[in-house]
Amino acid sequence: MEATASSKFSDVDEYGFKRGDKFDYKFYGKFMDGYLKILTRRRIKWEGLLEQNPDLTLISPKLKRYIRKGIPGPYRADVWMKISGADEAKQRNPDLYRSLLNIQHFNKEICDSISIDLPRTFPDNIHFDAKKERLFNILCAYAHHNRDVGYCQGLNYIAGLLLIVTDDEEKSFWLLKHIVENIVPQYHSHNMANLLRDLAVFRELVIRRVPAVNRHVEDMNLPYAVIASKWFICIFAEVLPVETVLRIWDCVFAEGYKIVFRAALAMFITHKNDILGCDDIAALATLFRDHMIQDSIVTDCHSFVEAMFSLRLKRNELESLRKVAVLNGN
Amino acid sequence: MATAPRSGGSGSGAAQRPNGTSQNKSCQFKLVLLGESAVGKSSLVLRFVKGQFHEYQESTIGAAFLTQTICIEDTVVKFEIWDTAGQERYHSLAPMYYRGAQAAIVVYDIQNQDSFQRAKTWVKELHKQASPNIVIALAGNKADLSNIRVVEFDEAKQYAEENGLLFMETSAKTGMNVNDIFLAIAKKLPKNDNNPGTVIKPNGNESTQTTNNCCK
Repeated sequence: MEATASSKFSDVDEYGFKRGDKFDYKFYGKFMDGYLKILTRRRIKWEGLLEQNPDLTLISPKLKRYIRKGIPGPYRADVWMKISGADEAKQRNPDLYRSLLNIQHFNKEICDSISIDLPRTFPDNIHFDAKKERLFNILCAYAHHNRDVGYCQGLNYIAGLLLIVTDDEEKSFWLLKHIVENIVPQYHSHNMANLLRDLAVFRELVIRRVPAVNRHVEDMNLPYAVIASKWFICIFAEVLPVETVLRIWDCVFAEGYKIVFRAALAMFITHKNDILGCDDIAALATLFRDHMIQDSIVTDCHSFVEAMFSLRLKRNELESLRKVAVLNGN
Repeated sequence: MATAPRSGGSGSGAAQRPNGTSQNKSCQFKLVLLGESAVGKSSLVLRFVKGQFHEYQESTIGAAFLTQTICIEDTVVKFEIWDTAGQERYHSLAPMYYRGAQAAIVVYDIQNQDSFQRAKTWVKELHKQASPNIVIALAGNKADLSNIRVVEFDEAKQYAEENGLLFMETSAKTGMNVNDIFLAIAKKLPKNDNNPGTVIKPNGNESTQTTNNCCK
């Protein structure tokens, strides 16, 4: 409470998440002074765009530019549905979600594993208790829809955040389906094959872009799987500050998996000196687990997204690295 | 009896020496936690490393790495703790963590028979795949809920004896036996100069926020 006494910001953010003890209100205030102006400007720009082009089916260079600068909160859910193609998929199969909820006998093992994770999904969010039943429905419906994936821990965070943004079970279901099947397929399936492949690809990218950082991380013996598994599995949900995750997701829904690599690589590049400054594995692990995910660099979501897009990264490069990773047995 | 957990302390209980000589040995060991989802692996680590407990500990995605240092007799033992995800599909990542580990804590929930069976599977896998000299401890966690247990103490104890495991029932919630199980492992690990763990410099930089200089 002390921290908030001198701050105009509450200790709960606009999505209902309690800000941590270490939350830097001073930095946040400074950042928001500028960011609120950006948000207002973007909101006006988007109003104009949506008037001209309400269906957003074609992602023009202008729309892409707008999305990279952030989709305004009130439009986010609908814009995600449209730009991702989830809306179209839903229209092609309008009864799917309802029919899944009407399945007579849910698999007990699946239901149990989801139920175990419900109370530990966003316990620090003051509104989320009331959403837990809806989260169960989304996860249970999806697990029965896609038996190859079933329920994978981590999907609770993705679906939970989707539910917070959309406040709509069915939209959350379709967006979750889109992420799991189209953006990062085979990350969440039983063998997690593509997760291991993409962790190897990510390591290779770090070697190419910031070789000194890779050398340091490997000298310390901290595996990339410890650093980045959660980044990839949750697409940064329950990792980075919510606003930053949503800005990343804006781009993920418009541009696909490449954005996940951009964000992961930006984490390494923007924190290069912090990483190199850790002189043992414990310090390095703490940096990745506690500091890097909530410092001023990632709190300033606007600059972080700019940093993501100042990187050179082409789909071709990722695709060829993926082929190499598979050949190497990852 | 377990010592009361202290936030920020390395808390190794009775064996901790307030002020040792300057002749201390330092050993470092890699320890991995394995076990079914939601049995309390991360909670045991959180209790041991930070003296804290969260009723709704977030599920571990992938794995986490933490360190804690304790002292036994004249030796500073630093644990490098690899805390893994429990869900079955994360199994493919597990060998990366138990490979080269000198110790493992296999955790089950005393209220959950399946988790005990799963613990046995982990023990088998460790015996087959991990270092031959690995010290394995079996932890029956959530012992504060022993009035609704389904896994009997004697059954688990007998299994542990037959398989050469250390065994304790623990409670991350109350702190019961948490420090003790790590301490028992530390005692069982070889601490001569040729121990498989890396010998760390006596005055090496300790960056863990929770390390206290118990033997210095």
